[in-house]
Amino acid sequence: MENKLDYVGQRIPRKDGPVKVTGRAKYTVDVQLPGMLVGRILRSPHPHAKILNIDVSRAERLKGVKAIITSDDTIGVKHAFVDTPRYPADEPPIAKDRVLFVGEAVAAVAATDADVAEEALSLIKVDYEPLPAVFDVEEAMQPGAPEVHTSHPKVKEPLSNIAGKTESGWGDIKTGFAQADYVREDRFESHLRTHGYLEPQATVASYEPGGKLNVLTSSQGPFFKRAKLAQTLGLPFSRVRVHKAYVGGGFGGKIDLFYHEFCAALLSMKTGRPVKIEASREEIFTAYRHGEPLIIEIKTGVKNDGTLVAQQFRVINKSGAYRGTGVVVIFLAWGFIIGAYRVPNFKYEGYAVYTNNPPRTAQRGHGCPQMRFAVESQLDMIAEKLGIDPLEIRLKNARQAGEILPNGDNVYNCGLTECIEKAAEHTEFKKKYGQARSASPSMGSIRRGIGIGVSAYITGSLIYPNSSSTVIKMNDDGTVTLLTGALDIGQGAETILCQIVAEELKLPMEDIEVIAADTETTPVDIGSWISGNAFVTGNAVRVAGTEVREKLLSIAAEELEASLEDLVLKDKCVYVAGSPSHKLTYQQLVSLSIQKRDGDPIIGEGHWRTVRGEPYHPSLATTKGRWSDSYAFGAQVAEVEVDIETGQARLIRAVTAHDCGFPINPTLVEGQMDGQVSMALGHAFMEEVLMKEGRTLNPSWLDYRMPTIHNTAKSEVIDVITERYEIGRPYRTKEVGEGYVSGILAAIANAVYDAVGVRLYTTPFTPEKILQGLGKLK
Amino acid sequence: MKKVSVSFTLNGDSVKAEVPATWTLLKTLREYFELTGAKEGCGVGECGACTVIMDGEAINSCLCPIPEVEGRSVTTIEGLADEDGSLHPLQDAFLKNNGVQCGFCTSGMIMSSKALLDQNPDPTEDDIRTTIAGNFCRCTGYVQIVESVEMAAKEGK
Repeated sequence: MENKLDYVGQRIPRKDGPVKVTGRAKYTVDVQLPGMLVGRILRSPHPHAKILNIDVSRAERLKGVKAIITSDDTIGVKHAFVDTPRYPADEPPIAKDRVLFVGEAVAAVAATDADVAEEALSLIKVDYEPLPAVFDVEEAMQPGAPEVHTSHPKVKEPLSNIAGKTESGWGDIKTGFAQADYVREDRFESHLRTHGYLEPQATVASYEPGGKLNVLTSSQGPFFKRAKLAQTLGLPFSRVRVHKAYVGGGFGGKIDLFYHEFCAALLSMKTGRPVKIEASREEIFTAYRHGEPLIIEIKTGVKNDGTLVAQQFRVINKSGAYRGTGVVVIFLAWGFIIGAYRVPNFKYEGYAVYTNNPPRTAQRGHGCPQMRFAVESQLDMIAEKLGIDPLEIRLKNARQAGEILPNGDNVYNCGLTECIEKAAEHTEFKKKYGQARSASPSMGSIRRGIGIGVSAYITGSLIYPNSSSTVIKMNDDGTVTLLTGALDIGQGAETILCQIVAEELKLPMEDIEVIAADTETTPVDIGSWISGNAFVTGNAVRVAGTEVREKLLSIAAEELEASLEDLVLKDKCVYVAGSPSHKLTYQQLVSLSIQKRDGDPIIGEGHWRTVRGEPYHPSLATTKGRWSDSYAFGAQVAEVEVDIETGQARLIRAVTAHDCGFPINPTLVEGQMDGQVSMALGHAFMEEVLMKEGRTLNPSWLDYRMPTIHNTAKSEVIDVITERYEIGRPYRTKEVGEGYVSGILAAIANAVYDAVGVRLYTTPFTPEKILQGLGKLK
Repeated sequence: MKKVSVSFTLNGDSVKAEVPATWTLLKTLREYFELTGAKEGCGVGECGACTVIMDGEAINSCLCPIPEVEGRSVTTIEGLADEDGSLHPLQDAFLKNNGVQCGFCTSGMIMSSKALLDQNPDPTEDDIRTTIAGNFCRCTGYVQIVESVEMAAKEGK
């Protein structure tokens, strides 16, 4: 078949663009239903306390209050992001007996308006008995520390508050270090950042008489939310319908089940009326889940020529008061080390540790920025010690196409070497590197530096719901409707999926209607997290498209009395090659199929799985088992300016050379890269959620500095193409939405060092740390 | 709660709102007029998602008490496209340049940019950057947004 691509690979405007530029796109916060009540949540003011009594009697008497719920109104089922025999769910949907962090829900109210709901909260009397609390993760691990939860039974060391542990390794670590010419040990630490999604967390729940719960919620995938709501509310999955509203950003922060979602649902069940709960920005800062700060200890052994021979890691995740994704990040962190470089002898230990801080969650890159910052910083230190340049040490150890990772995954296509070379060439890295440190003092106070960072990232993984399935239906007029469970959170999921449909069926984008993200009407989807949309859902769409195309061709071959090989699809017609007038329109073919194929209106179904032929997900405890059939690679170069008088550093240029397989939509890929560069520079220089004893000190955007346009840097993108799209054939395109917040963070740290000779071991890279490094601050 | 009656021009039409005196323009637009294009991202004037144009100036409607709007002229994102549905050059440019990702900042971004182009049809890149410095976008890194405004300015010439 001819493989001229008209849609895949093209810069096609977003499918959801018109409703968004006209203000017509309805987000959850925009939804108003008749009779809708407003819900509000009463949250714990204590980081750790016993609940002695809750008295709601005064609040109940307030005019306009329609329902109040506490733990007594729940069925007592706990939930969690991870819910396995090793890691059973640990979160009550509303606190019972004990609160473990400031912001934990203890009650919720539904009232006729927000003012009444808020007044009702002030009338609920909760008697607490404060308990000893622990906030520092290393203190929490000490035997005898206040226990948030008892340590996990499978963890044998005498450590407190261990939520979970991942252990992995291969080769022989002792032999590896014995072979090394140079060994160094370093410790890195990252800090707390919020996701910064612009749309506040919000849910509208509406319980219908007859027992169906309808939920609109600002999320990253409806199927996960449905599962958690059904479990905690005691409803059959089929009686919970979670469906799409537009989503104003997620970045990992809208995956878990949140209090407002559970409470809106239960309040609606109690009142029989729709209930909306919208979080204030202050609530999001103080009580919702930010990213996961890690402590990373690395010991690395190398030969004199820079060849890595052994690496040992100890990673500690500051999980907060519940396990959440805490045991996922210590598992993923391992994966974010092994992808980029070959290391023959390896040992890894990761701990997730409870404290009385709010629980944490996935954040774009989910551990990758922290791990790459640590690995790439240390690699530069090693290179300098050995007198090798930063490019050479990376090229020497970089993974190549077809290598098998320790978990059994094949990296298949790998453009890492080319990424490093192209990023370096484009920025004249070799010429610039090391210049600033030999600069004369007469140059003024600004020093310019250049640095490189590398990342490798999985494209999807095996995690619930584990599958993406899609249906393509032809309509009587020859247009199609795509049913997909994928949720577009801004990354462009619907657009690229439609491009694949358009390509497989050769019909214009405007002839594709999308019904998306509805647990009742659309097939299951893995969700807009774990970076699998383009690869996993995309292949599912391609398979469905193939089925539709084959049905169209089969009917056409019969009617046109032509062989299949001679038929061509174009402009919603099938015609005989070389004879454009000898054709049938899709409209005619649908009609013919119904007549001659026993009523078949032409429907295609497709499904895909991140790793096919692999029934089980990998072990969180040991990392064993397959993870993904597709790995993305990238090299990023940062150029920074550092003022040696003030310690202020800023990113002035970012170059991303990325192996994304092939871009389905180059404009959207570039948008992902630009956004990640911006987020990484916020990570590097600006953003920090400040906490003291479990309380947030800067709970607003006035006090938490997120990048505005004045902080942005020039972002340049270089595609390294390692895969191609062929009509009707499976493909391995790669993720572009998460890995690239990582290499660039490391590149920035290395560029600061190049500029002023200050090695940074902790994020963010503040003027104080830089001045301290320069010996100008004690 | 005491209500006020406020008359003003909204997207070219004379309108009257009877709402509590404590309401902001944003709340009035969203809840009284059911125009939900302007968004509340923070409620404290920091994110710019609520930006609308009042008498030619881009303002944070979340900080504007409704009594202040008496006799003024307000334009929201819903008032931008022509009546036949054809898009304003800014809307068209945001569409073509992927100046939109999640879309939550988009209304505010476009309204800030419109106030600029109405006053200065030939802005420099610096003018554009200064104009949208009060509008957060977490998705795009602003690159494709600036390109969109530049394209709209060029088309408008």
